[in-house]
Amino acid sequence: MGEEDRTPLSSFIRKTLAQSLSLQLLEETTSQLQNQPHFSTACSFNTNEPPRVFKTPKTNFTRNSGFSSLGSVEEISSCCWNCKTRRPFLICESCGSVQPVDHSVDYFRIFGLDRRFDIEDGSLEGMYKNWQKKLHPDLVHTKSKEEREYAAEQSARVIDAYTTLRKPLSRAIYLMRLEGVEVDEEQTVSEPELLGEIMEIREAVDEATDSQALNKIQSQMEEKLRHWCNSFANAFGSKSFDEALKSIQRMTYYHRVNEEIVKKL
Amino acid sequence: MSEEVGYTVASDSDTTREETSPEIAIGIDIGTCQCSLAVWNGSQVDLIRNTRNQKLMKSYVTFRNESPSPVGGVSNQLSHEYEMLSGASIFNMKRLIGRLDTDPIVSQASKTLPFLIQTLGVGVKPFIAALVNNMWRSTTPEEVVAIYLVEMKALAEARLKRPVRDVVLTVPAAFSRLQLTRIARSCAMAGLHVLRLMPEPAAVALLYAQQQLPKNMGDSGSERVGLIFNMGAGYCDVAIIATAGGVSQMKALAGSSIGGEDLLQNMMHWLVPEMDSLFSGRGLDEIKSMGILRVATQDAIHKLSFQPTVEIDIDLGNGTKICRVVNVEEFEEINKGVFEKCGSLIQQCLHDSKVANVDYIDDVILVGGCTNIPKLKNIVTGICNKSEVYSGINPMEAAVRGAALEGALASGVNDSFGSLDLLTIQVNAHRLGIRADGNGFVPIIDRNTTLPARREMVFTTAHENQTEALIVVYEEGDDEKLLLLGYFKVVGIPAAPRGVPEISVCMDIDASNMLRVMAGVVMPGSGTRNPVVPLMEVRMPTADDGHGLCAEALSRSFGSTLDLVTLHNKL
Repeated sequence: MGEEDRTPLSSFIRKTLAQSLSLQLLEETTSQLQNQPHFSTACSFNTNEPPRVFKTPKTNFTRNSGFSSLGSVEEISSCCWNCKTRRPFLICESCGSVQPVDHSVDYFRIFGLDRRFDIEDGSLEGMYKNWQKKLHPDLVHTKSKEEREYAAEQSARVIDAYTTLRKPLSRAIYLMRLEGVEVDEEQTVSEPELLGEIMEIREAVDEATDSQALNKIQSQMEEKLRHWCNSFANAFGSKSFDEALKSIQRMTYYHRVNEEIVKKL
Repeated sequence: MSEEVGYTVASDSDTTREETSPEIAIGIDIGTCQCSLAVWNGSQVDLIRNTRNQKLMKSYVTFRNESPSPVGGVSNQLSHEYEMLSGASIFNMKRLIGRLDTDPIVSQASKTLPFLIQTLGVGVKPFIAALVNNMWRSTTPEEVVAIYLVEMKALAEARLKRPVRDVVLTVPAAFSRLQLTRIARSCAMAGLHVLRLMPEPAAVALLYAQQQLPKNMGDSGSERVGLIFNMGAGYCDVAIIATAGGVSQMKALAGSSIGGEDLLQNMMHWLVPEMDSLFSGRGLDEIKSMGILRVATQDAIHKLSFQPTVEIDIDLGNGTKICRVVNVEEFEEINKGVFEKCGSLIQQCLHDSKVANVDYIDDVILVGGCTNIPKLKNIVTGICNKSEVYSGINPMEAAVRGAALEGALASGVNDSFGSLDLLTIQVNAHRLGIRADGNGFVPIIDRNTTLPARREMVFTTAHENQTEALIVVYEEGDDEKLLLLGYFKVVGIPAAPRGVPEISVCMDIDASNMLRVMAGVVMPGSGTRNPVVPLMEVRMPTADDGHGLCAEALSRSFGSTLDLVTLHNKL
């Protein structure tokens, strides 16, 4: 589903990385402020340093204490580490260097799409392959170790983006998350009508003996899925998130029924 | 597999790499029956021929007393096929490598192959030996493959006039991670450095992507969906790929350990139903009889691909004479089970690929020796609703050609005409997970997950104040059989009611197909989401020989005391 980056362990791993990055930056900045006299010397010492030290503050910042003010947070997120071109994307447009993952770039932006539920069929596939051609770990053997690591992360993120946006349900959940609304997929149903309906469908699936009966239920489910996709799109468009959540809950259930049918078929 | 680990060459600058032109890795297809070698020559892929001008070389190694000893099918010339069946030659190694003596493939092989395979049926490595001067001399599948690879390496070095170290090998999709480590071990023994162990369909997909490259650069071309069906002597693979602009995205991959060897064994048993007991003594006469039966059956199966009936007339020398006519219908009936399995593998793959229906498949790509069999061809084209198969590739060379392309890509070769502008985005063929919820298997990475992949699941304790948990990692193989990859304990879980501690288990497969399992403990309600003990990171597999016994020993020693329970139960 591509939701890994919010689950505890992975998020912890990423969080610690992010924390250590910002903490160290903070420390560096303060130490720079305290050691003003060293500033210029340090700066001239470091002019020959390759610019790539910016992206690995963990290893390099501590070694080069008193590093110049070039290493501000601002600079890291908005400049290519290699050629300093402003606002690089996953790859710098002017020098072709792979950039570190910038989590402020959302999945829709990766594919050049607006944050909308309705996306055209086939609008992801081509772009996905183009990105992979530039980022896939199999194709960056000649780049530096750091850049290969960026490429691995970027490539994995493009895969996540692709799998998340491709399926309507995960796309809907992701859109809500971008709006700051977390969807609890495990949430139990409280509405009696929906509960009743689910029970009924479950029974029908259990009792279905031949593939014909199952196929019939499946096409009903697909019809319902289409309906609730539309209602999600409308609700989300008009920013009525409660309605949108309701649609997602129904999509989740019908989707699960579908999976059960597929297992039985 | 072992990408660059231990090979941190002194230069950390990239410039030295560009100055010397990179060694182009060669592609190797180790087949159950035949092997081949290929390399990118700067503008295209060349197959390397041996001294007898063969591109496809028989897979076997003969052990003997005089030197040089032993010799393999790369350099050796058989005077007759019986020579390979004298007990002195070991073959079918690809079927046997990395398997336990409880595996039905091994026990069937022990009954039908002329050399010695002893199985105790307890979950250890089988004992394998070749007959040298009337004495059984022990060896291992890894050793035999390594001897063969040494010959291949020497051949490649002689032809290319340079040292050869880097290789890309193709492997069946059905190969378990234990089998992959055994093959990697053979390569290491032969002095080869493996850049990639590539599923055969992934290699074929690369070749297909190259052939589909648009004529004009910049034109991305339209997407074509292909079904690859690959069946050789030992294994069968199916993959669905979507290809555009040189990039093949695998939609689904499935594999099984069925192949021509099964057709052969079934047919031999049909001809001589009592063969298992007849040959169980494994004396010189029995070995000779087995050889005669094998050669005649092989020949008959081959002929049945081109003619409706075949006559088998052999004397097994122990009073058993076989004289009968077999027709295609009988052959198909005898092997009904194999053909059904092929069909269901294709169906499963189609289903997993989420290709809405078979009309979306543009090309049916057949690879491997078995696809000459009309029945198999009909099964594949029938399911895909196609009247013809893709004619652009040679079924016997597709895998090794793809491996050579990957070799060039992995060596960082650029082609100015763009014909190496290629990529196969792979998926994993096996489910990976851990033991939890009683003695159950809980998958964490599903099959057909795009690689590289990272997935995580949260578990919790099964007992009150449980302070340790045992993480037992499994891979799911053929017919949902579980294979133990390794195990480790998570310790230092704070005492708490059961169900409270959150034990996160994360599985990560990187681009070189390395599997790592990570685990950490988080206590909810403690105000911090930070792990309470250092995280564990374990490279898999850690289990190896005798792991079948190991799984039982683990459950005997620990029972359910260190169990885990899935925390977020899906409905």
